[in-house]
Amino acid sequence: MSRYMIDKFMRQVELSDALVAAYAADPGAFVDRWLGEPGGPDAATDDRVLTDEERAAFAARDFEALYALGAHPYLLWHFTEAVHAHEFTAESGWRELVERYRAAVAPQGVVDYIP
Amino acid sequence: MADLVLAAATPHNPLLWRAMRDPMPDDLAGVAANFDRFRRAFAEHDVDVVVVIGTDHLRQFSYDNSPAFAIGKADAYHGTWENEVRTFGMEYVELTGHRQLADRLAGRQVQPEAIDFSVSLEWRLDHSFVIPLQYVRPELDVPIVPIHTNASMPPVPSVRRFIALGEHVRAAVEAWESDARVAILTSGHMANDVGGPRTFAGSPDPAFDAAAAGWMRDGDLEGAIDVCSDFERMTEAGCMTYQYLNAVAALAAMGRAADFADVAESRFASSPFFLWTTR
Repeated sequence: MSRYMIDKFMRQVELSDALVAAYAADPGAFVDRWLGEPGGPDAATDDRVLTDEERAAFAARDFEALYALGAHPYLLWHFTEAVHAHEFTAESGWRELVERYRAAVAPQGVVDYIP
Repeated sequence: MADLVLAAATPHNPLLWRAMRDPMPDDLAGVAANFDRFRRAFAEHDVDVVVVIGTDHLRQFSYDNSPAFAIGKADAYHGTWENEVRTFGMEYVELTGHRQLADRLAGRQVQPEAIDFSVSLEWRLDHSFVIPLQYVRPELDVPIVPIHTNASMPPVPSVRRFIALGEHVRAAVEAWESDARVAILTSGHMANDVGGPRTFAGSPDPAFDAAAAGWMRDGDLEGAIDVCSDFERMTEAGCMTYQYLNAVAALAAMGRAADFADVAESRFASSPFFLWTTR
């Protein structure tokens, strides 16, 4: 369980248009690349560790699982929106994603998200 | 000595930036009217410098380094982030800092007894700072001192620390040898659950909203302390509800009931509007 790393990954991706696009294009490959690219020995600390369960959740864009794992709710929603927005259509857009998201997290109630 | 001439607490809901446009949607007319009232009050008070109290949303500050309170001492600030331009349609802005007041508030050599600030000289301000300024002072021509309060990354400061912050701002302004007219512009939420189980479904807790509006309307700091000291209760009202405490800092700074208090209903969670004036 590494809530901090879940939050770190979501934050880093969501802040950047380029990283959102790269992740959305191939989530699984992106996660593996990300794990293998921490800063060098002279960089500020940049540890990158995800459990198999966390890695799988990111590879599948599984917001239901990420919420259960203790992702920060605010980051999780904006990350989810960012990496699904390219799939929005007239029939299924922002509102429908909100409904899917809420349906996934509401049964879980308030989950402890403090790292 | 400088004067604290105005305090305002507003929403900073960034979804307003796209939604609150002419022709004005009916449900947002109340929010727009309140922002207009605040903009006029700000202009009427001839404000020279504004202390902007907001909560960075895990952009500038995150769990690798999360200050309880951070104050900006920069000469200038960049406004908004790439993800906010993308998601909310916000626009990049440049804002001027007020170094002299920042030093008075933060302590130049030794920190004040009242509060321990982290200090930042390089800071990109997020929507919590930019949105209220854009609606209350669209010219963006008044120098600012930004103060971040950690209301999103537990452990958060207690309600009494937010009160200490507000009281410190007043004391530091009143001790400043200057004829400057100073305003406080804080922003936050009523009950709000972005990303939580009641996300984007109106107010997640109307009972909290009603009580919290009453504390401002009545100047009831003790009422605010009583409920806001209970983190579980605050979380029950929504995962981002703790940002309401930025309004409590304004209440503490002014030390009296708000001259105007309204909680505007719309398609979004309820929008706080609390205003203290001296003219």
